[in-house]
Parts: sequence; C-alpha cells; structure tokens
Amino acid sequence: MNLRENWRIVMLVVFVLAATAALFAPAAAPDAGANNSSAYGSASGPTNLKFGLELAGGSRIRAPLVGTTAENLEIEQGRRASIRQTVGNQLNVSTGDVSVVLNTGNGDAVEVLVENVSEQRFRAALTEAGTDGEAASIRSGVTAQTRQQTVETITAKINRGGLSGGQVATQRSATGDQYVVVDVPNANTTQVLNLIGDEGEVSIVATRPVQADNGTVYRNQTVLTNRQLESSQIGVAQTGQNGQPYVPITLTEGVARNYSQDLVDLGFTSSDATGRQSCRYRESPEDPGYCLYTVVDGEVVYAAGLDPGLAENIESGEFLKGPSFIMQTRSTDEAQRLQVNLRAGALPTRLAVEDGTVLFLQQSLGDRFKWQALLTGLIAWLAVSGSVFLRYRNPRVAAPMLATAAAEVYLLLGFAAAIGLPLNLSYIAGFIAVIGTGVDDLLIIADEILNEGEIATGRVFQNRFRKAFWVIGAAAVTTIIAMSPLAFLSLGDLQGFAIVTIVGVLIGVLVTRPAYGDVLRNLMLDQGGD
Amino acid sequence: MVEFVVPEPDYDRYSNRQLAAVPLAVLALALLVLAGWTLVNGVPVTPGIEFTGGTEVQIATDAPQSEVRQSLDFAESVQPIAGSNEFIVTTQSTDNEAVRSGVQSAGYEIVSIQSRSASFGADAQRLALIGIGVAFVGMSILIFALFRSFVPSVAVVASAFSDIVIPLALMNIFQIKLSLGSVAALLMLIGYSVDSDILLNNHILRRRGDFYESTYRAMQTGVTMTLTSISAMSVMWVVSRLFGIPLLPDLAIVLVFGLVADLMNTYMMNLSLLRWYKFEGVSR
Repeated sequence: MNLRENWRIVMLVVFVLAATAALFAPAAAPDAGANNSSAYGSASGPTNLKFGLELAGGSRIRAPLVGTTAENLEIEQGRRASIRQTVGNQLNVSTGDVSVVLNTGNGDAVEVLVENVSEQRFRAALTEAGTDGEAASIRSGVTAQTRQQTVETITAKINRGGLSGGQVATQRSATGDQYVVVDVPNANTTQVLNLIGDEGEVSIVATRPVQADNGTVYRNQTVLTNRQLESSQIGVAQTGQNGQPYVPITLTEGVARNYSQDLVDLGFTSSDATGRQSCRYRESPEDPGYCLYTVVDGEVVYAAGLDPGLAENIESGEFLKGPSFIMQTRSTDEAQRLQVNLRAGALPTRLAVEDGTVLFLQQSLGDRFKWQALLTGLIAWLAVSGSVFLRYRNPRVAAPMLATAAAEVYLLLGFAAAIGLPLNLSYIAGFIAVIGTGVDDLLIIADEILNEGEIATGRVFQNRFRKAFWVIGAAAVTTIIAMSPLAFLSLGDLQGFAIVTIVGVLIGVLVTRPAYGDVLRNLMLDQGGD
Repeated sequence: MVEFVVPEPDYDRYSNRQLAAVPLAVLALALLVLAGWTLVNGVPVTPGIEFTGGTEVQIATDAPQSEVRQSLDFAESVQPIAGSNEFIVTTQSTDNEAVRSGVQSAGYEIVSIQSRSASFGADAQRLALIGIGVAFVGMSILIFALFRSFVPSVAVVASAFSDIVIPLALMNIFQIKLSLGSVAALLMLIGYSVDSDILLNNHILRRRGDFYESTYRAMQTGVTMTLTSISAMSVMWVVSRLFGIPLLPDLAIVLVFGLVADLMNTYMMNLSLLRWYKFEGVSR
C-alpha cells in the first residue's frame, strides 16, 4: 500500500491512536493524580472520560448575585469611604452592603449589594455623595471583582465544609446576565445551600441595658466584626464537656485589645454583668440583661453572658496574653457552619437562588444514565447499520462505512478526554447528531464514487471524490452555522451539544470522511483488478 | 430478505403545481395549527418547564401512580418510568426546598430534582428563539452564497422552513412541550434537511445529464440518508423513552417528524421548483 497515496487513512490511524492515548493512558488526563478532587468522576471507570453532574450525580446551583451596580463613574481614591457612607445612609442600607470598586471595565463603580434598589433613589444617592449620578449607567448585578471574590469565597466554603470536588465558576448568558454556577458531586442541594445559601456574615454583638429618661432601654454594639474574626485563628468545631458545641477562637493582639477595651467600657466585666443570670436571652429575649450575641446574617444564633473567669482576665489584662475564647452554638451542625463561615469569610452578597436553577441527581441515577445512554447510542448505530447493509448488500462498502462512523465517535470521545470536558446528556445528543451527519456524508461519498461505473484511474477517483466533497463541505458548513449561536451564547445547557456537534463535524469532514473515500478506492480497485 | 431499493417516482405524470400543492397544503395546515394554538394559548408551542420555570422530581416508591398523584397535590403531572418503580413528577412551583420537603414528607425517595426559576426559564426561551433564528438566517445566507441563483436557493430555504414548522405543529398535536431536547432537534433539522436539498440541487444544477436521471441519482442517495436517520431516531425514541432518559426522547421524536417532512418537502416542493427553474425559469 502506498502511504503517500493513502495519507488520509494514515492520518485517521494517527488520530485514532491519539484518541486511544487520551482515553486510556494514565498520564493523559489533565489532572489525574495531581488533584483528583477537582474533577468529579475522574477516578471512577476505566477511561479518562469525565462525567458532568447529569451522568455522575451531585448538585448544581446556578444563580445570579444580588445587587445593583452603577458604572461609568469617576471616583477619587480618597473619597471611597465617604461615598459608601452617604450612599448607604441615603438608601437605608448598612455601609457594609455598599462597595466602591475602582477601574472596572466601565470606569469606576458603586454597587449596592441588597435586593430592590430603586434606580431613581440610587441616582439621587450617588449625586448626594458628590458623584455624577445622572451620568452613571445602572444595571442589576455586581461588578466582575465582586463576582470573582464571591466565587473564591464559595470555593473556600465548599472545600472547608467537607464537600470535596466542588467546582465554582461564572457563566454569562446570551442576554448579558451573569450567573454563578456551583457544582458539587456527592452532595444534595440542601447541604450545599446550607453552606452557601446565605452570606454567612458573623459578628459578636454586645447588648446591655442602659438607663434612659423613659426607663431601661437596650443598646447593641458590635464588638467583633466578621473581618476581625477572619483575621483570628479559628479552631475546629467541637463539643465541650457539658455537651455544648463550640468553636474556639484566638484573636490577634490588636483585635483583642479593642475587644477587651470595649467590653470593659460597656460594663460587661462589672459584677452585675457576669453573674449566672446575667444573660437571660433564652427566657426573655425582650429583656435579656448583659448578653454577647453570636449573630449570623443578622440572626442571633447564640447568646451568652461573659464567663466570670474570663471577665476577671479581661479586667486584669491577663486576657491579652492569651486572647482566646469560645463561641458556643446550639448544635454541632451550627458549630460546623460557624467554623466554615469564620474561616472562609462572608460572601460579599447573596446568591439569588430563587432566580436561578437547582439540580440534584443521585449518583445511582447518573450511573444508570451512563450505560443506558451508551446502550441507546449502540442501538441507534445498529439501526443505521441495518439500513446501510440493506441498501448496499456489499460488506466491502458497508463495513468500512460503519467502522468510519464509529471511529468518528471514538475520536470525539478522545477529544473530550483530552481536554477534560465533563460529559452530560446534551453531549450524548451531540454524539448522535454526529453519527447522523457522518453516515449521511459517507453515503454521499459511496454513491458518488460507486454509482458512475468503474473507477478506471486515480484521477477519475479524485474527480468524483471532489464532487462528493463539495456537497459534504456545504452540508458541514451549514451544520456548523446552525450550531454556532448555541455554542457561543449559551447558558450552558445546550452548549455542550453544540460544541460536540461542531467539533464532530470538523473531525468528520477533515479526517474520517476523506479517509473513508481512500478505503473505498482501495477496496474497489482491488475488486476491479480481480 | 427485505429489498431496500429507492423507487423511481414517475414525476412526468404530475405538473409542478400538482407536485408543490401537497407540501404547500401541509405547510399551510401546520401554520394554521400554530396560529390557532397561538390564539388559544398565547404561544405557538407550549413551552416545558425548562422555559417556563418549575420543578421536576424523579421519585422512587412502590406506591401505585394514583396514590402518588393523590399524595402530591402540587404535582402537575406524574409519569411512570417503564420497568422501574420510579415516577417523574412535574410542578410549576419553583421552590426547590418546598417541593423537596413535600415529597419527602409523603415518604418518597428523591432520585433527582431539578428546578428553574421563571426568569431563568424566560432567558433560556429567548436564547433558544435567538439560536434558532440566527441559525436559520445563517443557513439561508450560506445557501444563497453557494448557489448564487434565486430559485434554487429559495427552494432549499423554503423546504428547511417547512421542515421546522411541520414538526412544531406536530408537537402541538401530540402534546409534546418545547424542551431543550426539541430545540436541539430543531437546530439539527436545519443541518439535516439542508443535506438532502443541497444534494438534489447539486445533482440537478451542476451535473450534465437528463433532469430525471440526475434527480433519481440524488434521490437514491438522499432518500437512503433520510431513511437511515429516521430509523436511527425512531429506535432511539423507543429506547430512551423506555429508559426514562431525559432530553433524548424529545430530540428523537422531533427529528423523526422533521425528517419525514423533509422527504416530502425535498422531493415534491424543492423538486417542483427546480423543475420549473430548469425548464421554464431559465429560458425566460
């Protein structure tokens, strides 16, 4: 066999070998060994193929971030704090929910990270804060920086929350909306939402009775903010001897000094604040006495008085030498969550899960889909084989045709393994589309080459092959055009389908289908010579 | 053994008008169905929960269907999966946690659950429409660029249009909702249907030889192509439906509709336009 003449077949063989390497060679998987946790399903099965959620099981949460952003502003570095303050006051939101981001893609930006911000009031607030509120472009959503920070925090929360192998990314829809997509294998959506459904902003608030003109009123003051807690050393959630779960915390020196000073100033170390009954939050939340609240996202999850021993240490300054204390919770679950929140930090804003999608699939169902989809594909291929054999009644034509169609799918699988594409059901639909267009094209090649009688010379063959290729090429370009809108502006559901179809058609037109022409020529010339 | 020989139709017996009348009548009927559906329901095709928002739960239980339906009062539909003790329950509610707890308190095991908010669904619907629209326009431009003459190009584009409209009408008749699978199928139809049309145009316009001889040659290949795809998709529809795999049954059945429509459109409508063009249109 002349290799030069059959270079298309040689190329196909090379591609098949490469696909085999990508599918089965241990080193070919992009992160096999190095980091198994980053791709779910990578460890299972004999191949390097990765499976997406629909075929591996797990949870996916896809949601936009809550917030409203004003862009195209010009803000001086030094005025950030005052702008946050003014905008927050004008809109009645806490300063922590207003952030100023400089040098975004669209000038400087101010974002308000709460729901239902009226555009009109936002503009007025910006003007009040001394920026050009009328010229700002206001949209819902947050800046890219905040989005990135959210993705990082969620990743940290998932990894620290004991859910391994999670992947977090942002996705842009065709309509310009940005979504955060959280994929966690081997977890149900309740577990994931518990971990990331809220911002997880933790603070310690001191509440105390104060004598005023009209009797006793309660005053709250935050003594440890989330940020201060983040800089501390957070211990492992555990259960104490009295059965009370807690998280041990060691503050940094500076934070400890402020903290103890605040407690002394607020009277928490005085004798009436440290007694057994100093905090009566559980019995009478309206009149709790001296309490330290553990507050998560504005909700009091635990309340306790200052321990007398600790109060003494704080009073004497002993506390500063070993500034550790414990944050108690009601349940071990809560302690666990508190620990994650403290370690990973608060999310800049909330995921608007109610505006997104939630998906959960048991692993067993994913496994079932895997072999059922494989079987469905196989049966479809058999149906194709049946009709091709009936049409040609010549195994010399039909067998290589079916082998070529199978090779196309094999190369595609190799491609998927090589780039670490996680397979989903829509990809399987894509494989089927590829077999469909593939067999169509092979039929065109076979008929074109065989129908016009004997192939006398290589030139006649080349001529016919070129004619067939015109049709195939035109059909391929049409398919690619039909799929490209989905491949480029998709929300992801049909993106895989579109990409697989496009890549499959390219592999088919450039590699496998021309090779089939060569195979056919060899077989037919052999036959003619007999 | 079954013979698989593409029959040679006696095109001589029919005028162009007669040939085109059937596919045009079917197309008109399909458009009528879509128009009527729009009048009654406000949309040409009923969108599924992927586009309206809602929740789909797959549950495992030994209880019979009637009991499941009764115990889950929020359920809009309860469909059993053949050969298993599982059901697919859909509801318009987008509150994943509420549906989850509702199903769990009824004592069923959740195999999978998926919910989409209405706004997300609306986005996906807009995207699907844009996708199909852009794909169709792109295909049309390409066809005009390839053939560079009006009538043959219009023949291909019209046939592709009808290949999409007829399955849409059939979806209404068979109560198939618009889903990601059927959108994928409609996009695939744009590619598939053009295959056989290009083949026919190519044989008739770019080859020497008698019109009917060229037509028959193109038909031999083209009809085999379409029948092969139809057989594969029918089998896939049956199997994937039995297994209860999502996405694939919708995709398969819409493709079967479209490919059958394509047989008619290519070899009656497209052909009659080409014959007119070849024998009468060119000489004018």
